[in-house]
Amino acid sequence: MDITVFVQNFLNGLSIGTVYAIFALGYTIVFSILGIINFSHGAIFTLGAYFTYFLIGGLNNGSGILANAGLPFGLPFVLAILVGSLMAGFCGVLIERLAFKPLRTRGADPLLALVSSLGVALVIVNLVQYLIGAEILSFPSNVFGEFVNQNPSINFNFVDPSRPIPIRTVQIIIFAVSLVILVLLAYLINRTKFGKALRAVAENPITASLLGVSVDRYIFLTFLLSGFLGGLAGTLVGTSFSISGPYFGVTYGLKGLAVIVLGGLGDIPGAVLGGLVIGLAEAFVPGDFSAYKEAVAFALLFIILLVRPQGLLGRRLIQKV
Amino acid sequence: MKPVTRKIAIAFGILAATTFVVAEKVATPIAIGVSVAQTSNTALLGREQVIGAQIAESFFNSRGGVNGTPFKLFFEDTGGDEAGAINAFQTQINKNNVVAIVGPTLSQQAFAADKIADRAKVPVLGPSNTAKGIPQIGDFIARVSSPVSIVAPNSVRAALKINPEIKKVAVFYAQNDAFSTSETGTFQETAKAQGLEITTVQRFQTTDSDFTSQVSAGLATKPELVIVSGLAADGGNLIKQLRLAGYKGLIIGGNGLNTANMFPVCQQYCDGVLIAQAYSPTAAGSLNAAFRTVYKNTYKKEPPQFTAQAFAAVQVIVEALRRVDKAAKVSGAELADVRVALNDAILAGTYNTPLGTISFDKEGEVNQKLFYVAQIKMNPDNKTGSFVYLK
Amino acid sequence: MFESFFNQYGFLMVYMVLQATLALSLYLPLTAGQLSLASPGFFALGGYIAAVMSTTVWATNGMFPIPYLLLEMLLGGLASGLLAVVVGVPALRLRGIYLALATIAFVEILRVVSLNLTITGGAVGIFGIPQPFNSSLEYMWVALPLLIACVIFTARLEKSRIGRAFVAIREDELAADAMGVNPTYHKVLAFVIGAMIAGMVGAITAHFLNTWNARQGTFDASINILAFVLIGGSRMTLGPVVGGMLLTALPEILRPVGDVRLIVNGFLLTLGAVLLPQGLISPRVFKRKKVDV
Repeated sequence: MDITVFVQNFLNGLSIGTVYAIFALGYTIVFSILGIINFSHGAIFTLGAYFTYFLIGGLNNGSGILANAGLPFGLPFVLAILVGSLMAGFCGVLIERLAFKPLRTRGADPLLALVSSLGVALVIVNLVQYLIGAEILSFPSNVFGEFVNQNPSINFNFVDPSRPIPIRTVQIIIFAVSLVILVLLAYLINRTKFGKALRAVAENPITASLLGVSVDRYIFLTFLLSGFLGGLAGTLVGTSFSISGPYFGVTYGLKGLAVIVLGGLGDIPGAVLGGLVIGLAEAFVPGDFSAYKEAVAFALLFIILLVRPQGLLGRRLIQKV
Repeated sequence: MKPVTRKIAIAFGILAATTFVVAEKVATPIAIGVSVAQTSNTALLGREQVIGAQIAESFFNSRGGVNGTPFKLFFEDTGGDEAGAINAFQTQINKNNVVAIVGPTLSQQAFAADKIADRAKVPVLGPSNTAKGIPQIGDFIARVSSPVSIVAPNSVRAALKINPEIKKVAVFYAQNDAFSTSETGTFQETAKAQGLEITTVQRFQTTDSDFTSQVSAGLATKPELVIVSGLAADGGNLIKQLRLAGYKGLIIGGNGLNTANMFPVCQQYCDGVLIAQAYSPTAAGSLNAAFRTVYKNTYKKEPPQFTAQAFAAVQVIVEALRRVDKAAKVSGAELADVRVALNDAILAGTYNTPLGTISFDKEGEVNQKLFYVAQIKMNPDNKTGSFVYLK
Repeated sequence: MFESFFNQYGFLMVYMVLQATLALSLYLPLTAGQLSLASPGFFALGGYIAAVMSTTVWATNGMFPIPYLLLEMLLGGLASGLLAVVVGVPALRLRGIYLALATIAFVEILRVVSLNLTITGGAVGIFGIPQPFNSSLEYMWVALPLLIACVIFTARLEKSRIGRAFVAIREDELAADAMGVNPTYHKVLAFVIGAMIAGMVGAITAHFLNTWNARQGTFDASINILAFVLIGGSRMTLGPVVGGMLLTALPEILRPVGDVRLIVNGFLLTLGAVLLPQGLISPRVFKRKKVDV
């Protein structure tokens, strides 16, 4: 492969891979604590993008019952994305309380969480469609400031000065933001008391509660964090590609599943690795096989599961005897 | 009555109810069904169609309806799947007792649901089904949406007129979209017929948003013309990413991109894209002018093609109903007879619609006289723009 | 009156029966403790086989002969069973949610492949599939016997040695293995039988819908079928049947609600999962009734 094309594909893959990683982290921390898959995570992704869009003062150009509505104020983008993602986080908490907690207190089959969160996802998607509409919403091109607006792509001369590699500025920003988030998250989980308690709950909720950790509180915080990450990923993708409607998060929801399983369910570094592997694998699909790009993530997943049933970084399952 | 005789009487009653079919009459106002995708991820298109049908409903009712009798549209959502379309059609045919149905949104849905209507002898007018084989489903099936093979080639010729130097073409299409896959076939044949070399064919999904790998692979072949067949969100993003990756040449967008919904997606990068249109908002004709004004007053933008086609479909049914009604009063007549007469009337007429003058061949395929090639001109705000009609 | 009822709901009723049968195809592996979401993949395969055979090899001008339909069901079932062996032997080493995701991956790969083949008609799919019946309702002649046969088969299987082996594996695979039950054989068996049912349902559904395309076998369908089983009840044969019928009818029952019907639909789904953790039909319900009597 031509080295210029290689570098370009590599950067593309990294950029989309980090977004997959952030999104998948939201899935995986919930799984690590509760052992369930939250199917509404893709809908949270969608919600985060819509929240931020309206918080910066965007108008609804959709044809739902809130057509042409908008907030009377507009927050600066940095504030809006934080508030919007936090709102998505609280939606996550709400879903926990309504759809997961009743199942948990009853000791129901964990599979039922799939169905109850599927119902929630259906409600969210159709509610957005009803209220906002099916139309596409786009962030203004100057949402990251005038510099980005004036320089939508930057040429890099990595290898061959005569053939610069154009990279979309938004992609660079998203990559940088994602890296910062991943570092912060690694710090939060590995170095703080919160992280230690979280890991303790994930390891064994009963022991953790005996040690004085309020399990319920950590479940609350887990869903808040998960929703926040999902909403943040949604906003980042939305600014890069526009919000394609209420079904915006569905493809990411499915791909996110592939990411976390590839990395090893409930494994935090695994989710990051899984995101990057799938992002890069998709970027390196040769042009002649672009038809199969959509299947790459799943083909990879299928093969890796057969070789390493616990995922790339997952711990080997110890069979109880 | 003795219990036994009562039981027998009830049994006979049930038997009578099942065998004696009450012949339905046409109600007043006359019921016309509209079944498109109001939910699911096809709803973006379905919403546009609902709006077009609603505009037609108030427009033609305020102009006397069917020779003085008003008509009413019944909306039954099909969702995005085949079973949903069939269920919606069944409700229209048997519960709403409609004289005709406008719908469904997708060609795949039409293959399933139209068969049901054809068996029940209810005329169906497809507002947006463009795949080949739709009018051939049955005698009662027609469409106002021209098949792709007619719309697409014009834009390739227009591109060659702008830049006769073009030799190498890169083709992109949404492989999970029925319309786009048929359209790209036509585009590729046209390009070959014009002596152009197709350097690459790249596929994507309508649900994709990141096209960096396709763009890199496509531009590596150094094309001088790029042809995109897709829908608004994916097509818009692809065009934007092509431009940002440094592509400077001409871009042709397929008929799926003939919507203002694409403008906020590709923003300033939409500028200059050539679009093959089956409807142009700027087309001549007083009816189109009236339709356009009503739409613009409410929605503050140009009417999209799907809206115009849904409007035209309702218009065709209303005008055909007027002719049936002149021969024999429709309201109160036998529903089954009206449906058959209406189907004949639809196929026989010529209609002056916002799409231009249209008529149907005996199979129900539309004959549309005018097709357009437009070039997108974006406004300075980068969120709105217009299609400038190329002569 | 009755006729217009059957005209309006004939399609829905047959569709409910078909979806209920499809729910059984997911239920069977689940009785052996295997969460497989592969049913839509086999469903799609069966449908494609019927669609291709009836539009090319056995293309007829008039009515499509019913024996050919039955032959297609057999072919669809066999092909699905064969593919299930190939996929199942390696995949069923996986457990729980890992297996679920491997099977989702299988469904997605199959979907993308069918989008790219010429024989499957790409995105447009195959249309104008010959009709063996004059109306939707008449499909009941094939759909209902298939459902009944599958229900009886499943119920009898559960009572047999094989069924008890399934339950033993579900409750404790290691213990079952230690007691001489071959887990791999039985897991693959449950998976293959499920796949064959899905393939047969697919073959009927392709004729029933008159068209077949890649949108029939998707991730969404996988999750819907899982909901059929869990809402209906995953511990009794009747559970998935009731769940499949009810959830298929729900959007149509809610049609009068109008624009918000799918919001209500989702809400009821969550409510059902939360309020009926055992599903609608659970062995407990039956036991309690027996005590009452």
